Amino acid sequence: MGQSRIIEMKHVSTIYEGEKVPSLFDITLSIAQGEFVCIVGPNGAGKTTLLETLNGLIPHTDGQVHILGKNIKEKGVFLRKQIGYLPQEFTVDPLSPFLVKDIILMGRYGKIGLFKNISKNDYWLLERSLKIIGIEELKDKPIGKLSGGQLQKVMLARVLTKRPSILFLDEPFSNLDYRSTHTIAHQLSCAHDENHWTTLMVIHDLASLPKHCNRVIYLEEGRVVKDDTPEKVLTEDLLETSLPSR
Amino acid sequence: MSIFEILPLKTIIITLLGTCLAGAVCSLIGTFIVRMKLTSLGFCMSHAAFAGSALGLALSLPPLWLALAFSILVAFILGPLADKSRLQPEIILGILFSLTMALGLTFLNFIPDSAMSSTAMSILWGSILGITDLDVIRLAVLTFSVILIIILFFKEFHAIMFDRKMAEASGIATKPFYYLILFLTGITVAFSIKLVGGLLIFALIVNPASCAYQYFYDFRKILLFSPLFGILFSLGGIILSFLLDFPIGSSIAITSSVGFGLSVILSPKRRKG
Repeated sequence: MGQSRIIEMKHVSTIYEGEKVPSLFDITLSIAQGEFVCIVGPNGAGKTTLLETLNGLIPHTDGQVHILGKNIKEKGVFLRKQIGYLPQEFTVDPLSPFLVKDIILMGRYGKIGLFKNISKNDYWLLERSLKIIGIEELKDKPIGKLSGGQLQKVMLARVLTKRPSILFLDEPFSNLDYRSTHTIAHQLSCAHDENHWTTLMVIHDLASLPKHCNRVIYLEEGRVVKDDTPEKVLTEDLLETSLPSR
Repeated sequence: MSIFEILPLKTIIITLLGTCLAGAVCSLIGTFIVRMKLTSLGFCMSHAAFAGSALGLALSLPPLWLALAFSILVAFILGPLADKSRLQPEIILGILFSLTMALGLTFLNFIPDSAMSSTAMSILWGSILGITDLDVIRLAVLTFSVILIIILFFKEFHAIMFDRKMAEASGIATKPFYYLILFLTGITVAFSIKLVGGLLIFALIVNPASCAYQYFYDFRKILLFSPLFGILFSLGGIILSFLLDFPIGSSIAITSSVGFGLSVILSPKRRKG
């Protein structure tokens, strides 16, 4: 591939405090601009830890992580302005004092920067994301009043509003019904192409593997076991022995 | 005999101004403290400020500056040091709470004469008449500074109040803002302790903000109404204190607690249907 490397990990290990066994062990991989990579593996394989190590929310203990050519440990705050991150499970207190539109706009706050006000363009991006995800009617609702699926859509809209160059999505369809999953997977694939994003998506339900996915990384016990095209990684043998829950 | 016959008009104006400013700034800071579930910070800071003031009186040093030093020390222990040691803030607060209380009571024993002891008691319970022009100027500057800081960094505070980890993920350096809240709390407590008293100042931090949270889903409205509740409860406390000769700290704690009870009952957020 002639494209530039956007994400590079060299011999990266991550150990949580108080743990002896690393959650990620000696991972080396690189991801080029425009790739749509899905990360699969059984529970506890280190999929979420991989995403959070990459965006610097969890500090790695060994090795080096470079995003857009910059070290995540040194330039974490700057780099996270370029990364759209959707966390796996996200719960909100029912009395939480925030409206849906505020939560979505917050995705852009880092990018807007210090001492600068929210602009008309930011509000336009908010409206556009609400439309893409199909949640315009939720705009003025309190965030704590939403169902799990609606909340997940709001968090996806937040990621889109940010207009990042890199996307980290951790099980983006886990709370969505069949129809929403397919609509949003399609929207994400289109947005990935239009915006030339580099996308990393942790996915559990392989039936919702987006068709734009051109690479699958299979993790097990914190190690990369397979890293290739979806056809080569997701073999019948692997699906039956290692991912029986599909 | 009315209050206007007992006290000079200037004293009444200074007292009311100081009360409104303390009510506004404490409850504005309380908006963040309540949302971050750090209500014990209010207890801890107030006891630290009380211990500092008591030490000041025991050593014949200015109580305000030692109260400020102790409060900021708590902010420092809870902020940067807790981050380094990776301990839960609630654990540190629990330990600091008992330590600062113990130090405060110990320092009280070292205060030399009875006149000083009455000053010490006013630090514990608050004193309406002890407030000076300078105290009001300090409170005014502090209130203005806190409002200015909130306006300047509203986006950052807004995102952190929703979720600190998500704010960090969106590219906001959350640590400086978190520490800023802790330090502002320390300064606010130290500057307001003379009026409300060290034992009950946390009521003015926690109660008005908790009331505002009962009514609104929009954080901006909570930031606006929390200081209004703070002013209302402080003035209510002053009236109660004058009428029944209660200590000012106790009066504010009573009015704001009643206010909170009413807010829970009237809360539209808790209504069904």
